[in-house]
Amino acid sequence: MKNTQSIAGIAFALAALAPGYAAAADDKPYKVAEGNRVDKITLEGWRTWRALACERCHGARQEGLVGPPLVESMKRLSKEEFKQTMLKGRPEKGMPNFDGSKMVTENLDGLYAYLKGRSDGAIQSGRLEELK
Amino acid sequence: MASIRTYTWGVLFGLAALPGLAFANPEVIKLTQDPKNWAMQAGNMQNQRYSALKQINKDNVKNLRVAWTMSTGVLRGHEGGPLVIGDMLYVHSPFPNKVFAVSLSDQQIKWKYEPKQDPTVIPVMCCDTVNRGLAYADGKIFLQQADTNLVALDAKTGKEIWKIKNGDPKKGETNTNAPHVFKDKVITGISGGEFGVRGFVAAYDIKTGKLVWKGYSTGPDAEMLMDPDKTMTWTDGKMAPVGRDSSLKTWQGDQWKIGGGTTWGWYSYDPKLNLMYYGSGNPSTWNPAQRPGDNKWSMTIWARDVDTGQTKWVYQMTPHDEWDFDGVNEMILADGINVKGKPRNVLVHFDRNGFGYTLDRVTGQLLVAEKFDPKVNWASHVDMKTGRPQVVKQYSTQAQGQDVNSKGICPAALGSKDQQPAAYNPANKMFYVPTNHVCMDYEPFKVEYTAGQPYVGATLSMFPAPNSHGGMGNFIMWDAGTGKIVKSKPEKFSVWSGALVTAGGVACYGTLEGYVKCVDANDISKELYKFKTPSGIIGNLNTWEYKGKQYIGVLSGIGGWAGIGLAAGLEKDTDGLGAVGGYKELKNYTELGGVLTVFALP
Repeated sequence: MKNTQSIAGIAFALAALAPGYAAAADDKPYKVAEGNRVDKITLEGWRTWRALACERCHGARQEGLVGPPLVESMKRLSKEEFKQTMLKGRPEKGMPNFDGSKMVTENLDGLYAYLKGRSDGAIQSGRLEELK
Repeated sequence: MASIRTYTWGVLFGLAALPGLAFANPEVIKLTQDPKNWAMQAGNMQNQRYSALKQINKDNVKNLRVAWTMSTGVLRGHEGGPLVIGDMLYVHSPFPNKVFAVSLSDQQIKWKYEPKQDPTVIPVMCCDTVNRGLAYADGKIFLQQADTNLVALDAKTGKEIWKIKNGDPKKGETNTNAPHVFKDKVITGISGGEFGVRGFVAAYDIKTGKLVWKGYSTGPDAEMLMDPDKTMTWTDGKMAPVGRDSSLKTWQGDQWKIGGGTTWGWYSYDPKLNLMYYGSGNPSTWNPAQRPGDNKWSMTIWARDVDTGQTKWVYQMTPHDEWDFDGVNEMILADGINVKGKPRNVLVHFDRNGFGYTLDRVTGQLLVAEKFDPKVNWASHVDMKTGRPQVVKQYSTQAQGQDVNSKGICPAALGSKDQQPAAYNPANKMFYVPTNHVCMDYEPFKVEYTAGQPYVGATLSMFPAPNSHGGMGNFIMWDAGTGKIVKSKPEKFSVWSGALVTAGGVACYGTLEGYVKCVDANDISKELYKFKTPSGIIGNLNTWEYKGKQYIGVLSGIGGWAGIGLAAGLEKDTDGLGAVGGYKELKNYTELGGVLTVFALP
């Protein structure tokens, strides 16, 4: 119950801050229902996030640990910048390059979609299922 | 006949070699025998964290005052503690691993060493960029850097004497452990169990840094320095040879090559037996379904000959780990412990899995294995004949399966105790153990291995042990002969600081809120002294004497696994995964920053 409330709170806050976001729902790189059922590509993105243990640096809810809060960064990064950061890393800041990971190179779009959905407040943190 | 002859030759050879061996490094032993020094991280070779000093005692400890303090200038978790040799104190910091040599007469920094390390090593380090401290021998200070460089510095000037590379961070290999000097060798291990690193210990010549031997935790017998006929293990109620390919037989395919068993704990040494003791860590990945078998010799207590590295005996505590119950915690050596009416020379170990083990350290026989936290539920008990824990199906993440969240497992992955070392008091033969009182939900999932990238394969959520005192830690007094908790003192957070016990009848430890606490060594429920240091304590307490005055010192600086949320500036986690969830309240008590605080009587 608590979770639902806090997610709703974030979603509300985002909607209030940027009403344009909600209106342009069709442009979203992800499809989501009830916050935890997502399209196949986004689901694979979440699985990639989990398998690469990104939460060790960016936090389980993408709110930042030693790494920056992605719920914030994803509002600024273009898709191309996101991809470059994933593949080449930011070695000087401690972000590893993931161009050697098959899972990452094959699921970059899904990872982008998942994190964008988290940043938008549309996708919940934690376990996801496929939207059929 | 043959065996008698071999024995005789062995003795003769041993005697002939003795002068050389005995004088190989009398210096460190001598230094540790003088309680004015604190010349090893644990105070002595036996890992006891005991001091014979008694100026500070249970009657006057309440009068302790801060004598001096010093900042390391580094944020993040400060584990380990300073060394004191004569009139000098040597202290380290987490990454970038600074070393300070401080004169005790005026607290002046005589020299400072700061290595240049590639920052890309930071994300490859599990659970914060901690370092557990320095070692001393032969006029040298040994630093085991995060990037795996092992450096010998001139203790007088701080100049590099030699430097070698112990591992490869590109493969996920890093170091957090303190180096240990036994005889003429500096012995180190490796971290990276969450990156599929294959664990080993390596011995380097203290004069030159030349590799003398290297023994892996897994793989072919020769690479583990194991003799199938002579290396013994507890089998059906007695010691028996491990047999051929004892590790290879317990892994599927080549998984052992990325199978963990890392070695980042505190090692001990018995000079009479010439054996060193340490534990190997969790098998990789954390998803048990991906590595069928017992995964030997991860999660194992090892006894190795210090000169050759040959394995005398092994005992695997947690075959086929399903919970990340990393077996690296310290091995404490104690003599004359009464086990079932007989005095035994033993090794005592408090494992992450929640069992306190007492073994005969000469033979490796299992004597005692009992829970040191009553909440431990993943196993009902250890079968004393087979030596195997009896796993409870409800808490078996293997039985529950991949992508299933197994709930309410006690202890959590960080164990009933993590690396924070316990202390042993020879006066009453009791152990003082800083513990965690934390449980978890654990959901394993399939992962692929890529060199240098995380290879974890489980999502965790941790919380205080339910239906208990609500806190996440206890400081306990343990009888290793009977395997019983004598007394337990509840703490709000995990006690993540190494304990100290002294001939003055006091036991001291630090808390995550930042308190140094000293209690009556015979009744730990009596808190005699408490002082709030500048940050949470995950360092270890120690003591020394200078110009007739006894001092107690401790590094504070929150971080490490328990404090990683805080170390990283997390602000609004709600029910975050891993260690963060249960420890989020820490921010109400403490902030980051490494400081050494030194206490004395007025």
